[in-house]
Amino acid sequence: MASEDDEFTMLFQDFYPSLCRFLECLLGGRAPLAQDLAQESFLQLHRTAWGTLPAGEARFWLYRVARNLAINEFRKSNTRYRLFDRVVEAMRPASRTPEQEYETRERKQLVLEMLHTLPEDQRTALLLREQEQLSYREIGEVMNVSESKVKVDIFRARASLRERWSKRAKTVGASAS
Amino acid sequence: MSCNFTEKISSLIDGELEPREAREVERHLLSCAECEQLHTDFLNLRSEIASFDTSTQPIVQNRALKKILSSGRRAATPGPGLSRARGLQWSWGTPAVAFATLLIVAAIIGLVLYNRSNKQEPIAKINAPSPAPTATPEPTKPEEQKESETPKRAPANPSKKAPVREPKPGEQFAVVRVPEPAASPEVVSAPERVRSADAETLTAMHFEKSETLLRAFRNVRLNSRGTAAEVAYERKRAQQLVYQNMILRREADAAGDVQIASLLESLEPILLDIANLPDKPNAAAVRVIRERVERKNIVALLQVNSMVLARALDD
Repeated sequence: MASEDDEFTMLFQDFYPSLCRFLECLLGGRAPLAQDLAQESFLQLHRTAWGTLPAGEARFWLYRVARNLAINEFRKSNTRYRLFDRVVEAMRPASRTPEQEYETRERKQLVLEMLHTLPEDQRTALLLREQEQLSYREIGEVMNVSESKVKVDIFRARASLRERWSKRAKTVGASAS
Repeated sequence: MSCNFTEKISSLIDGELEPREAREVERHLLSCAECEQLHTDFLNLRSEIASFDTSTQPIVQNRALKKILSSGRRAATPGPGLSRARGLQWSWGTPAVAFATLLIVAAIIGLVLYNRSNKQEPIAKINAPSPAPTATPEPTKPEEQKESETPKRAPANPSKKAPVREPKPGEQFAVVRVPEPAASPEVVSAPERVRSADAETLTAMHFEKSETLLRAFRNVRLNSRGTAAEVAYERKRAQQLVYQNMILRREADAAGDVQIASLLESLEPILLDIANLPDKPNAAAVRVIRERVERKNIVALLQVNSMVLARALDD
C-alpha cells in the first residue's frame, strides 16, 4: 500500500504542474478551475484506474480524462466563468515587480488568446505536442484519433497561429508608427 | 504559401519524419526562403507555447495530493474491479459520517451561541452608561458589573440560542460592535482588526448563508431516472450569493485578509456551478458539484470561519 502510494505521489509530483498548465491553456487561462480539474483527474485515477493500468499508460489516461473534464466545462457557462476567473486573476497580489508582472501577464494573455481562437481538437493536439512533447501516436491515444489526424491538426493549428501572429505584428507595427 | 513542403516542415520539427524524408526537407529549406521563414516561425511559436508558465503553488499541490491519497484510502477495497461496490460503500458511509459530524457541530454551535447570548446583554447594558464610567479612572468597575450579572442571567438564557443567530442580525451584530470604539481602556485588548466590522459582519452572515445552501444542496434528492428532483431554490440562492461573494472577496483582498479571501475564492466556483444548473439537472452534474464541495471541505471551513468572525466581533 505504502509503495503504491509512493508511486502515485511520484507520478503526481511529476505531472500535476504540467497537467495544470495544459488545462489552463485549454480552458483559456482559468487557473483555479484548471487546478480543480487536474486534482479531479488525479482523484479519478487514484480511485478507479490506479494499479490496473499498464506501466506508462497513466500519463495518457490522465490527459484523456483531463481533456474530457475540460470539454464538460466548455459546455457549461463559458463566458461567465472566464469573466470571474479573470477577476480572480486580477485581484491576485503581485509577487514580482509591477513591470515584470505586467509583461508576463501580457505575454500569457496573448498566448492564451491566440490558442483560444483554435478549434478544441487542434488546440489540444498542439498543446500536447509543444508543452508535453508527446509523439503523434501518443497524442492520438490521448485524443482517441488517428496519427494522421493529429499530424494535420497540429499543422493547421500552427499555420493558423502563425497567420494571426503576423497579422497582429503588422497591426502593432502600424499603430506604433 | 504554395510550397508542397509546408506540412512536412511541421512534421520535421516534431521529429516525425523518416530520416530520408527529413534530409530531403532540410535540403529544401536551404533553397526556399519562404519555407525557411515558416520553419523559423513554427519554432518561435513552439517556444512561446512551451514557455507558458503556470502559478501552481507547492502548498496547493501538496494539499491536493494529501486529499487524493486520504480519500483514496477511505474508498479502498480489497479486490480490483470492484469499483461499483466501492461506490455503494461510499454512498452509505458518507451520510452516516456526515450525520455524526452534524451532531457534533450542532453541539459546538449550541455551546458557542449559549455563551454568546450570555455575554451579549451584559455588554449592551454596560455600554449604555459607558461615557460616565470611562471618564472616571475606575478600570475594574465594568468588569465587576459584568461578572456579577453573568451568573444571574446564565440559567435563564439557554432557550435563546436560535434568535441570536438567525437572519436580521443587523442589530445583533451592531450591539456586539458597540464596545469597539474603545470606550474604556480594558476593552482595547480585543485583537487588532484590519477589516471594518461591517465587512466582517457581512462576511460572517454570507458564510452562514452559503453554509446553509451547501448543506441543502448536499441533501438534494436524486431519483432513479438519474435526474435531481428539484434544485430551483438552491439555484436561486446561489445566484444571489455569488455576487455578494465577489464583492466580499474583493474587499477581503483589498484589506489583505488572505484567509477570508482564499475561502471566498474557493467558494465562488461552487456557487457559480450551482447557479448555472439547469431546471432538471442530471444526477452526474449534481454529484460532481457535491464531490467538489466535499473535496474542498468547504462546509466545515465556512462554519469555522463564520464562528471565528462572530467571536471576534463579540470580543
